[in-house]
Amino acid sequence: MKPFSGHRAFLLQRLSAVVLLAGLAAGALRVAFGSPVTFAQWQAWSGQPHGAGTLLVVSMAVLTHAWIGIRDVVLDYIHPIRLRFAVLAAVAAGLVLLALWTVLIVAHT
Amino acid sequence: MRLRVFRFDPDRHARPVMQDYDVPLEPSDRMVLDALTRLKAQDDSITYRRSCREGVCGSDAMNINGRNALACITPLEGIKQPVTLAPLPGFPVIRDLVVDMTQFFMHYHSIKPYVMNDEPLPERERLQSPEEREKLNGLYECILCAACSSFCPPYWWNPDKFIGPAGLLQAQRFIVDSRDRATSERLEFLDDVFKLYRCRTVMNCTEVCPKGLSPARAIEHIKIALLLRKPA
Repeated sequence: MKPFSGHRAFLLQRLSAVVLLAGLAAGALRVAFGSPVTFAQWQAWSGQPHGAGTLLVVSMAVLTHAWIGIRDVVLDYIHPIRLRFAVLAAVAAGLVLLALWTVLIVAHT
Repeated sequence: MRLRVFRFDPDRHARPVMQDYDVPLEPSDRMVLDALTRLKAQDDSITYRRSCREGVCGSDAMNINGRNALACITPLEGIKQPVTLAPLPGFPVIRDLVVDMTQFFMHYHSIKPYVMNDEPLPERERLQSPEEREKLNGLYECILCAACSSFCPPYWWNPDKFIGPAGLLQAQRFIVDSRDRATSERLEFLDDVFKLYRCRTVMNCTEVCPKGLSPARAIEHIKIALLLRKPA
């Protein structure tokens, strides 16, 4: 099972794009038609189960989409194997840290 | 007719050069290949491939005025001068307009371009319904000229790993063949980040195919087949 290879990566990239599109549309509608959001309101929303769930799903979609997209660019343009591996490892580490950070934010609100 | 031709002889040149020629044409000359034939009579050192001279063999695929095409079916009428002739981009040059197609054909062979069917042979032949035969249209006509693969940026980036539009179009030709029994094996082989999924849907392949085929659509159909296939 290779979750980020072949057709699974292809499918994940498109599914995550749909999630991102929905998240962006919801955010844009909120900004366009809702009242300004204070930090306290944002914190309260992300503390609710539905808010935390939404935040986690959209964040994971961002990270998944970013990983597949950046990996594809690296595979296309960086050909020395060691350099490719180093760049991919650095990107993966950065994205994992961002994922952990997101989880921490949700857990502390 | 003014021609500007890519010249490279590894025995004589350190680097390729573009050389200009004025080639007198005859009224019967219609295609770029006719001009090249006249040029060959004028300078017999110029090297290019050609065979059928009617768009069937694919030997004379080259880059004509920045676009891959077959010299034998590219009309001279209205063509911009000087006519710049270069070898297929992204392929190693052997000499002048002749490129090394070894890797291209290795990719072609990797997709097993033949019907695989271990069932007992019928008395006469494996029959297809008209609907099953129809599915091969737009695929079987490929002449393997490499105009598509050579004009494909992802193929330039990973020529050793990405099968390329020509090979993938051929793969789809056997995936949809009702007589073939190796669809699952073929899809499993193609389900790879390099072999198939380097395609970025640039669509240069469809743009330049001299037979009017659409490798991009064939690749799309392979991706759909991979998504719809049942887990083994």
